[in-house]
Amino acid sequence: MIKNYFKIAWRNALRQKQFSILNIIGLSIGIATCFIIGFYVHSELSYDMFHEKGDRIYRVNQPDIWGDWEEQVSSTGPNVAIALREDVPEFEEVTRILNTGAQILRVQDDVESNVYNEEFYYAAEENFFDIFSFPWLKGNKATALGQPMSMILSEEKAKIYFGNNDPIGKTVEVKDWQGHWQTYTVKGVIENIPYKSHLQFDVLVSLSSFSDQMKRDGWKWIWTAFGTYALVKEGTDISTLTDKLQAIPPKWAPPTTERIFNQTFEEFTKGYPWKLDLQPLKEIYRSGSPDFHTFGPTGNPMYVKIFGAIGILVLILSSINFMNLSTARSSKRAKEIGVRKVLGSQKTALIKQFILESTLFVFLGTFIALLLVQLSLGVFNTIANTELELLTYLSNPLFLVIVGVFILMLGIISGSYPAFYLSAFRPAETLKGKISSRFKGKGVRNSLVIFQFTISIALVICTLFVQKQLKYTSSLDIGFNRDHILQIHNIEQLGFDTESLKTKLQSNPAFDKVGKSFGLPPNIWTGDRYKTTEGNSDVVQLRNVRTEEDYLDLLGVEFVAGRNFDTSARPNDKYKVILNEEAVKKLGWGIKDNYANESPIGKIVALASGDEDEFEVIGVVKDFNFNSVRQEIGPLVIIHHQNDKVWDYGAGLSYYSMRLHQESFTNASDIQEVITSVQEEIAQIDPSFPFEYSFMDQDFNNTFVAEQQMGLVLNIFTVMALIIACLGLFGLAAFTAEQRVKELGIRKVLGAKISELVVLFTSEFAKLIIISIAIAIPIAYFLVDDWLTNFAYRTSIDLWVFALAAVFALAITVLTVSFQALKSALVNPVESLRAE
Amino acid sequence: MLLKLNNLSKWVQSGGQKIHLLKDVSFWVNEGDFISVMGPSGSGKSTLLNIIGMLDDFNEGEYTFMDEAVHNLKEKHRSNLYKQYIGFVFQSYHLIDELTVKENLEMPLLYKKHGGAERKALVADMLDRFNIVGKKDLFPAQLSGGQQQLVGIARALIANPKLILADEPTGNLNSKQGEEIMDIFTQLNKEGVTIIQVTHSEKNMKYGSRVINLLDGSIVTG
Repeated sequence: MIKNYFKIAWRNALRQKQFSILNIIGLSIGIATCFIIGFYVHSELSYDMFHEKGDRIYRVNQPDIWGDWEEQVSSTGPNVAIALREDVPEFEEVTRILNTGAQILRVQDDVESNVYNEEFYYAAEENFFDIFSFPWLKGNKATALGQPMSMILSEEKAKIYFGNNDPIGKTVEVKDWQGHWQTYTVKGVIENIPYKSHLQFDVLVSLSSFSDQMKRDGWKWIWTAFGTYALVKEGTDISTLTDKLQAIPPKWAPPTTERIFNQTFEEFTKGYPWKLDLQPLKEIYRSGSPDFHTFGPTGNPMYVKIFGAIGILVLILSSINFMNLSTARSSKRAKEIGVRKVLGSQKTALIKQFILESTLFVFLGTFIALLLVQLSLGVFNTIANTELELLTYLSNPLFLVIVGVFILMLGIISGSYPAFYLSAFRPAETLKGKISSRFKGKGVRNSLVIFQFTISIALVICTLFVQKQLKYTSSLDIGFNRDHILQIHNIEQLGFDTESLKTKLQSNPAFDKVGKSFGLPPNIWTGDRYKTTEGNSDVVQLRNVRTEEDYLDLLGVEFVAGRNFDTSARPNDKYKVILNEEAVKKLGWGIKDNYANESPIGKIVALASGDEDEFEVIGVVKDFNFNSVRQEIGPLVIIHHQNDKVWDYGAGLSYYSMRLHQESFTNASDIQEVITSVQEEIAQIDPSFPFEYSFMDQDFNNTFVAEQQMGLVLNIFTVMALIIACLGLFGLAAFTAEQRVKELGIRKVLGAKISELVVLFTSEFAKLIIISIAIAIPIAYFLVDDWLTNFAYRTSIDLWVFALAAVFALAITVLTVSFQALKSALVNPVESLRAE
Repeated sequence: MLLKLNNLSKWVQSGGQKIHLLKDVSFWVNEGDFISVMGPSGSGKSTLLNIIGMLDDFNEGEYTFMDEAVHNLKEKHRSNLYKQYIGFVFQSYHLIDELTVKENLEMPLLYKKHGGAERKALVADMLDRFNIVGKKDLFPAQLSGGQQQLVGIARALIANPKLILADEPTGNLNSKQGEEIMDIFTQLNKEGVTIIQVTHSEKNMKYGSRVINLLDGSIVTG
């Protein structure tokens, strides 16, 4: 009997090729989309799973003491780990890691010495590998980080530095911040860090290599550059432990606040608790690690949610399609069912037959979907920056079980409607063909079409707004012209005095302006605590950047009061500062319109760290975006880079920026030529200089790279959803056309024009789409409005976008349906009416 | 006696009114009868045949088939009953388009759970008996109307029924094909199969041994 069912299913599929193909394609696309999104979501949720003691590893987070005390961040001071080791026996191990930033490495081989710029370069303590289980290839894991000047390399780097030679015991030189080469010994090689790790490093050195600095600053709670990780003892209750941790900062941090800021702990925290919390290792990536996680990638839980939802929706869409088409098609099977019943088939046998058939279809669809996944995963990996592989899933029994259950479920659901519906008829009725003339379920099918298009239209609207927002942010007036600015990085490697280089650069006719800065928009993150000298003013947190007059000139920021630095005419200007409007406001000196009454010019700001250095304000610049336009403009102090009274004078990363003289550039190779000439110039000064450059407009765009990626992926999935919905509509239109061919024939005999028939037929579907539009608009509005709250600068939610989506949906519908309408309207009524 | 109808009525509700399709129909059929049901369009011929074949319900009255009270039986029993004893032949043949002649013949046997070898033997026997061995792998669409009806009759007979119900079996055929089909019915009747046919044609009526005339759902003579 089963054989007979297979045969019938196969021959039916062949006989109704169009339906079968539409059905399978729609289903396959849906399943494939769902698989890919499923893989993506699964991958996002499975970071840091490879550590053996993973379920006992926690990261210690603390408040953002430099800004919003209510927000927890992942960076802590060096002393936190020491305090935890001393006071909390519940921890088996506590370890610190430090991101030192990019380092210049020099490796001597038989022939020459090679210089490398390593970005993922961390310092860690001896017990790092007692907590984390990054797989070891060479060296002694237990002792490798025990000595100062020890280094551990990833497999890839070891290969690059030393080729096929054994790297253990070899030396690597690292340039320190004073320009001296320090010699490290390679003590171990580990496998390349898996991409699904929130810690990403190529080079790891022992923290004890910085023993001088650690001795000097290790007691500080404000040197928040460390990641503190703890391994708790088995059976520890985390919430009790977290409660206990709250006693640590009040006990350990006061020396920091008193010695550095001359403030009591309570004064420093302004009454906020210095809250330490324990974030489970597995949550770190997926929860979208808090700010200042500088050790590797962080996930974005919002995208996981958005894509997860889209995946499920697309799957639902295609399943609905499948059901819709199967049901529509099954009415053509009425006769077969009637005959089977007359010949003695029981209801259960018919139900079995239909369910088997649809399960078979779903199975085939799933198989094709897996092929599609295999074909498209490469492209997806490139777009979404992932490393998904089908094979890893196919070899996972749990995945296969889920797929199996899915096939059965969808098969049963989509098979059961026709099965139960059609098999319930009395055979006498089905044989007369009564079913096809008054086949029910039209209401159900129509609501399913409405549901499908509601989702598709809502997706289209959302996609349009994502694009609109991205366009808006990239064209936003940020207070200066960000285009045509070439930036050379790593200038700090040349030492502090780089005036000769500057002179050379200035003499290059390709550059209009040249300026040095310690920090570049949109990545100015440095900041400090300031106060005014008037009475007992509040301490405020301001961002600061050290730079020079030429850089401000180059940017072209607008002065609303006072003037720029002018150190050549007035050498003392290097001890003056320039504020932005926001900083003026924050310091309590009123707003712009009020400057006439109470000018900020000539007033004094001072660092709040207890030193008495005071800086006079000589200018106020109009607010400009020195961070991503994702956020509002913050308060900013601009300090002259030659101001040797600030504590970080001379330290930190520095850059030269050049505004390109546009007339000198006619094509891309011109730019490349100029860049090469700059590189050569610097190489003459220091051959080991790690030459790196960027363009400011690109840096600004890059702050939206996640959104752009999301926008792209969203586009793809929206198109998928549309294709699926249109396939469904097309199939349904074809079915309806077949059903109504007689009616249309009669209308034609009675004098209807072909155009009237097409309109009549199409308008019925258009009605459904209009209902969908009406439902989709408020849903999309809500979603878009919600998403836009992530941005400080939001594009307007314009009506025309909704209108565009609506027109688009209607156009697609008319295109899809009118083909079928025309086809059946053109049938000669003699043909269509003879059939009875 | 093979079957007996006693005051059987069937109606439908239309606009709050009862419209009788059959009204107080009573008659009986003995084994070996060849009955022709006649009457104008809409007189209830097909409805009567469907009810006898248990493909349709009735509202009132009694129907006894081989001493079983059909009106008291559950759907499953009824289905078993007609599966075992009744074969159907339709005006438009009602073969399954996706199955070959051989597979169409096999279908009733599948539902009666005959074994594979037995099915094969019975199908071969039927193909032989109706002289359609050469057509066994063709699909219905590849056959002429007369040939399709031959297959239809063969399918009705394959499960060895006691009663054949034929609803205008020659209605879609030309006169020559029609005669052949009627000859087959006559032959079957001689072999002991009871036949009830619905027909419009006086000529076909004459093949039967008894006539039931219907008008507006009631028996006029019978």
